[in-house]
Amino acid sequence: MTGPARDGAEDEVRALVPDVPSLMAALDKADYLADPGLATALFLALRLPQPILLEGEAGVGKTESAKALARVLKTPLYRLQCYEGIDAGEALYEWNHQRQLLGIRLAEVRDLDLDESDLFAEQYLLRRPLLKAIEHPGPRPAVLLLDEIDRADAEFEAFTFELLAEAAVTVPELGTITAAHPPIVVLTSNRTRDLHDALTRRCIYHWIDYPAPERIAEIVRRRVPGSTAPLALEAASAITRLRALDLAKPPGIAEAIDWATALAVLGIEHLDADVVDRTWGSIVKNRDDLELIQARGAAWLIGGRSG
Amino acid sequence: MNAAALAVGFTTALHRAGLPSTPERAAWLARSLQLIPPASQDRLYWTCRAVLVTSKEQLPLFDTVFASVFGAIDGVDDAADRRGEPNAPPPVGAGQGRSVTRPDPPRPRVSDASPPQAPAPVPGQSGGVGSGGQERESVLLMASSEERLHGTSFAELGPEELTRMRTLVRRIVLATPEREGRRTRRSQRSTAQLDIRRTVRAAQRTGSAGTRLVFARRRKQLRRLVLLCDVSGSMEPYTSVFLSLLQGAVAGASAEAFIFSTRLTRLTRQLAVRDPDQALARAAAATPDWAGGTRLAESLRRFIDGYGRRGLARGAVIVILSDGWAQDEPEQVAAQMVRLKRLAYRIIWVNPRKAAAGYQPLAGGMAAALPYCDAFISGHSYSALAELVAAIRGSRPARAEELAHRPHQSLGRS
Repeated sequence: MTGPARDGAEDEVRALVPDVPSLMAALDKADYLADPGLATALFLALRLPQPILLEGEAGVGKTESAKALARVLKTPLYRLQCYEGIDAGEALYEWNHQRQLLGIRLAEVRDLDLDESDLFAEQYLLRRPLLKAIEHPGPRPAVLLLDEIDRADAEFEAFTFELLAEAAVTVPELGTITAAHPPIVVLTSNRTRDLHDALTRRCIYHWIDYPAPERIAEIVRRRVPGSTAPLALEAASAITRLRALDLAKPPGIAEAIDWATALAVLGIEHLDADVVDRTWGSIVKNRDDLELIQARGAAWLIGGRSG
Repeated sequence: MNAAALAVGFTTALHRAGLPSTPERAAWLARSLQLIPPASQDRLYWTCRAVLVTSKEQLPLFDTVFASVFGAIDGVDDAADRRGEPNAPPPVGAGQGRSVTRPDPPRPRVSDASPPQAPAPVPGQSGGVGSGGQERESVLLMASSEERLHGTSFAELGPEELTRMRTLVRRIVLATPEREGRRTRRSQRSTAQLDIRRTVRAAQRTGSAGTRLVFARRRKQLRRLVLLCDVSGSMEPYTSVFLSLLQGAVAGASAEAFIFSTRLTRLTRQLAVRDPDQALARAAAATPDWAGGTRLAESLRRFIDGYGRRGLARGAVIVILSDGWAQDEPEQVAAQMVRLKRLAYRIIWVNPRKAAAGYQPLAGGMAAALPYCDAFISGHSYSALAELVAAIRGSRPARAEELAHRPHQSLGRS
C-alpha cells in the first residue's frame, strides 16, 4: 500500500487550530456547531494524514461540516458529488473537445499554423474537483469533499484512493501535476452499500448522531435570523418528539430550519395547535406519516400531552 | 501515560472483544493521543472512537469495551439509544466488573433460549426418489434442458442429499432484468447521442482525414437483486437450502442478502466468503434469533427504512422467501408491502408451503402480501427454484411441461 501523501498538518494549519477546543470555537464562528466528538474527529482529519469518513442520517450536517472546515481554514472547498457511473472525466479532468474543434476551425479560417501541443494546452483542460484540489496553490491545503461516496462504483472508489494516496495526477499531454498542498479529504456516505474494506481501512471515522433538541434550537437560531429562542426550542422539541414516532421520513435539521423559517415568515411567536395544523407541510413530507401524526394530534406534538 | 502503550493495550482489548483492528490503527491512535492529550475521559473516548471505529455497527461494542477498560463514559452512553440502530450488535455481556485483560467475546442477545447456530438438517426421511445421488446430480445440473423434473421437496431430503442439494442450489445462476445505465459505450449505428469525446479521439488517430462520427449507446446494467429470507422456526426445513441460494446469489449476482425472523439482519458480508460452511457459520453467528418467531411487517419496515429507501430497493428485483406466518397484523404487512412495491421493480414471493396440495394463501400475512407480489412461487424443490430463476429474469419458464407441472402464477397488478 502506498503511504499517504500528506504527512500531518502544515505549520499554517497548526497555527490556525492548535487544539480541539480552538477548532470547536472556530467552527462555531463559521456558523457550524460541532459537538466534541465531531470536533475531535475533524481535528484528527486536519492533523493526521488520513482522510475522514463521515456517516450519519440524512440531514445531520455531514456536508455542512466539510464546508465549515473550509471556512475555518479559509481555503476553497472542492466538492465532488458522487453518483452511479461517475468516471475519471467527471472527477479529475477532461479535454474540452468542443473548444478544441473550434480552435482547429479557427486556425483553418485564419490560416494559422496549429501544433498538437497548442490543442492540448491548459486552456483546453477542463479541471474537475479532484484536479482542482490537487492543484490548489496554498498557502493552506484545500478541503476536498467526496460527497456520498457510496453512490459511486467500487472501482471509482479505488481509483480515487490511489490518486489521493499519491496526491499527483498525470495528464499524458501535460505531464505530472504533484500537489504542493495535498488536500484535506472528507468523505460522506449514506450507507446505500457497504464501503470497501480498503476504503474504511484508510480513513478515520465518525458517526454523526442526531443532535439533542437544545442543539437543534441553537442551529435553528443561527440559521433563521427572525427566530426567537423560545420558539426555536419549542420547534426543536416538537421535531425531536416526532422522531420518536415510527415515521417513514423522520424530520431532520433541515425540516427544523424550514419550519422555523415558515413560522418566522408567518410572524408567529408561539407554537399552538392551530399553528401546527397550518404548517404541517414544512415538517412532514409523506402522506402516510401525516396521517399517523394527525392521529396523534397537534396538541401532542407541541405539549407532549396525548391528545 | 505512555501514548503508545495505551494505544496498543486498548487496541488489543478491542481485538479480543471481536472488534478487528490493525497495528496501523494503533499507530494512528498513538499519534492522535499526542495531538490530543487525553486530559479528560471524554476526550480520550472521542479520540479513540474516531481512530478505531470504522462503522456505526461497531459503536455499541466499542462503547462497552471502552467502558470496561476506562470506566463508564458520562454523556455518551445515551448516544446509543438515540442512534436507534435496529441491527446493532448487542452489548458485550455488560462487562463492568470484568477484568480488562479478558473481556468476553461478543455474545449475541439470545431471545428465546435458541442458541445461534445453523439450522440442523432434517434427519431421516430420505426423499421419495430412491435414485442414486450421482444420477440426481447430473439431472439437476441440466436444469434448463432436463427431461424429467426433479420435484423432491427440500424438507424431505436426508442429510447427505441436503448437502448435495446445497451445493447445487449455490450454483444456480440468477440474473436480473436489464435497465439503461448511465455509462455509454460506442455504437456504430447512429443514436440520438453523438459522442464528441470519442469522435475527436478517433479523428486524432486517423489524422482528421474523413472524420467519422461516433455515437454513444447507453450501457445496459443489471438490476439489483435483493433477497430477504425468513429463518423463523416454521421455515426451518428450508432455511439451509435457501441460505445456499442466498450465498450463491451474493457471490454470483452481487445480490444483497438479508434474513429475518424477529429482527432483520444484513448478511451480504457474511455470505461473501468463498467457503460455504464458513459463510453459513458467520451468518449464524450474526443472527441471534435464528429459528425464532416471525415479525414479517416489522422486518419489512426495518428493511425499507434502513436500506430500501436509501437506494437498495429502488428499481430492484426483490425476492422474499417466507411462508407468510407472522405475528404481525395482516394490515401492517400490507402497509409495508405497499411501500416496498413503490420502491421495487418487481417483488417475487417464494413460499414453500404453496407446494402442498390444496394450498390456499390464508395465513394472515401471506394473504395480505400477495396482492403486491408480481410472482408467487413455491421454490420448495430444485425444479421449483428454476421457476424462481425465470421469475427473477422476468421471463416465463421456457418449457410448457414446466408450466403444466407447477404453474408460474403471475399476479401482475393492473
